[in-house]
Amino acid sequence: MEAYLLNLGVLVSIYAILAVTLNFIMGYAGIFSLAHAVFFGVGAYVGAQVGMHFSASLIVTIPAAMAVSAVLSLMLALPALRVRGEYFVAASLGLQMLAVTVFSEWKGMTGGIGGLIGIPAVRMFGEDIYRPAAFFPLAAGAAILVLIVTRLLVRSSLGRSLTAIRDSESAAESFGKNVALIKTISVVVSAALAAVAGVLYANYLSFINVESFTLDTSVLVMAMVIIGGTGTALGPIVGAALLLLLPGMLSYLWFLPQTQIGAIQQIIYGLGMAVLMIFRPGGLVGRSGARRRTRKAGGGK
Amino acid sequence: MTAQALASLSEEVLLEIRGLEKSFGGVKAVSDVSMDLRAGIVTTLVGPNGAGKTTLFNLITGHLTHSGGSVRWLGRDIGGMKPYRIARLGIARTFQDLRLFKDMTVEENILTVMEPGALPFSFTGPSAREKRERVARVMERTGLADKARTRAVDLAYAERKFLSLARIMAAKARLWLLDEPASGLDPNSYATFLRLLREEVAAGVTVCIIEHNLDIVVGSSDRIAFLDRGRLLADGDPKTVLEDPELTKIYFGDRV
Amino acid sequence: MLWLQLTLTGLQTGALYALTAVGFSLIFGATRVFHFAHGAAFVLAAYVFYWVDTAGLGMIPGIVLAALAAMAFGVAMDRLVYAPIQRHEGSFFTVFVASFGVGIAVQNIVGMVFGRGFVTMNSTLSRSREIVDGVYVAPLAWIAIACAAVFFALLQFFLRRTHTGMALRALADSPELIRVYGLDPRRLSSYAFALGSVLVVPGAVITALGSGLNPALGHHVMLISLAATIVGGIGSIGGALVAGFVLGLAENLALIFFQSQWTEAVTFAILFLVILLRPSGLFGRAAAH
Repeated sequence: MEAYLLNLGVLVSIYAILAVTLNFIMGYAGIFSLAHAVFFGVGAYVGAQVGMHFSASLIVTIPAAMAVSAVLSLMLALPALRVRGEYFVAASLGLQMLAVTVFSEWKGMTGGIGGLIGIPAVRMFGEDIYRPAAFFPLAAGAAILVLIVTRLLVRSSLGRSLTAIRDSESAAESFGKNVALIKTISVVVSAALAAVAGVLYANYLSFINVESFTLDTSVLVMAMVIIGGTGTALGPIVGAALLLLLPGMLSYLWFLPQTQIGAIQQIIYGLGMAVLMIFRPGGLVGRSGARRRTRKAGGGK
Repeated sequence: MTAQALASLSEEVLLEIRGLEKSFGGVKAVSDVSMDLRAGIVTTLVGPNGAGKTTLFNLITGHLTHSGGSVRWLGRDIGGMKPYRIARLGIARTFQDLRLFKDMTVEENILTVMEPGALPFSFTGPSAREKRERVARVMERTGLADKARTRAVDLAYAERKFLSLARIMAAKARLWLLDEPASGLDPNSYATFLRLLREEVAAGVTVCIIEHNLDIVVGSSDRIAFLDRGRLLADGDPKTVLEDPELTKIYFGDRV
Repeated sequence: MLWLQLTLTGLQTGALYALTAVGFSLIFGATRVFHFAHGAAFVLAAYVFYWVDTAGLGMIPGIVLAALAAMAFGVAMDRLVYAPIQRHEGSFFTVFVASFGVGIAVQNIVGMVFGRGFVTMNSTLSRSREIVDGVYVAPLAWIAIACAAVFFALLQFFLRRTHTGMALRALADSPELIRVYGLDPRRLSSYAFALGSVLVVPGAVITALGSGLNPALGHHVMLISLAATIVGGIGSIGGALVAGFVLGLAENLALIFFQSQWTEAVTFAILFLVILLRPSGLFGRAAAH
């Protein structure tokens, strides 16, 4: 039981990093990306390769993964600058599908569909950290750090600029905001921080393959953000915890066919998204009434 | 008043517009407009709806690209520059539909225009404390002090107009382009608006206003530019322009 | 002869993409709803057809019931999901998320009922015949291409010649205008959903008879018709048709140069490039901003 909870804690921490970083661009920059799993994957593969061939120290793997992810995120920034709304969703979707093909075909880097095995565990204080009991504090610490960094950014002038651009791009640029640069920075920051989750994931499982970085993952992370509350501080974390607890909770319901748990889980979060959008578009944590009016004011361009 | 007489009021030409053209699919929205905006002078753009006044603003601020002519800021050609770069030169504007940052509080709306940089923390700009003080000062003057934490979307109409004005006051620009800043204001708010405008002009701001209310125009401007169908029909001191029977006829149309 | 073979297969694939994309484009054009669950209508129709036919009731009842299921699903989505959302706010984002959510739920419900594996149907129509040396074409291919042509022509006729069709086109331009003329935008919106959804049926039936079904197909179909809609130009029904064929052809002709794993990547590379270079699409009138 304890091992189960610690394992769950690690996964919640890792997905919380993804949800928090996706929320950073979704909630504040209004960039609605379906390609977040790409940066999770890039972080995992780079972290794994660096770990296997150079050094398993997080001081090496994390910066390397963040750097590669940041550079690749320019692929996402490019359409984000040119188009918005449904066009951008489609572009990010295209990027996600392309990335999955590359992940499964670039065997030298990703091990192809078989994936990479034998990824070394993190070494800290002279010990390998792989047991959930030891890894959980590390993962939770990383998640808290990422949350703090994004909160600071949101409350900084960059965060204000992002909100200003989302609310009125033309007014923002009339006051000297370099819209292209600010949006690009936000995408790069989000992707680089998402890569941290990838590194931790690869180290923790010691095995990764493309299955973890598909559109389904992007959708899952998006659902975490939306169900928790887009543009709120704690919403994404609540969403991550809730959606990862769901399979465990369902397995306690003895009357459900156990082989269908995966499907039932997806049905619940699919319908959950739809119902929330109808009755509480701000998410569980969001201000429902106020949020609605804002969305109306902010949307429809 | 002749151009020479105007020139004697102030020597420095901030903005020099020459032969400016803009057409949308064959329709000329702005046609061969030439005018100077001189330091310290309040210019009002008048003219019927669709005369090209807002288009002229958009051409100056770079939101539209002109199809002919030139716009120079302190002698430097700014045609084709991106809006944010033009803004950083010291040209700020308001919008007829305000375009406030709806989801942000009054305080944040004002704060963000003082931070044009893209980095989260700036070491060269005003310090955090200085910014807070300037925000407080601007909120005080525009009567928004007790609304500091209210989101823009929740403000009343007049308060929104003042927030729009507060933003431009905080931006520290040399030239203000105001698009119908006083429309819809009650007499009290209107008096406050005029007082603020005078104070800012006295402090060295140059203003160009689009306005429909001719009483406002006569009382508050040094100079009037009359636009109709994209052409600059007259440009001079308020009395001369407004007493021109031709222009009055165009402006009031069938109402007279 | 490889290219001829691939062109013919590409046309068959393209025809299916085209009709589905036209349905999506019609709904989007008329109602501005980004109906991501359109792929779910496809899966529902396909499985209803499969279920009725394997139950021994025959193909025609299968097609009719599939059409009814698709229409009912589209109209229900409009009434039960989109209308309530639009009543309090109309942002693209919220509508998209709700639609996406329902799409996921439907895919999994179908998976629970019919199993997640592939199901195939035995049909003589899918048996390929050699038409020229080394080029094999199944009768289904001709049926697919004919369906695309006939249904598109019927749709054009409907949109241009009938009162309701013209109202639907007007709805795309201005919902206010519709109200002025005393037409009910809500009812028209339901028409758009019924019509757009029914257009998935030929593709669904032909896919069921041809390559077989699995519940994840809806996702794939949706991604492709979304790509076709955008490549063709949002709001342009003809553009969606052409782009559907282009993507179908590209996917198959890509096999000359790439291995089959890369075909989907080719489609999305085209989508990505079109969005970057020509966001309004090949035939689009609306700019992206």
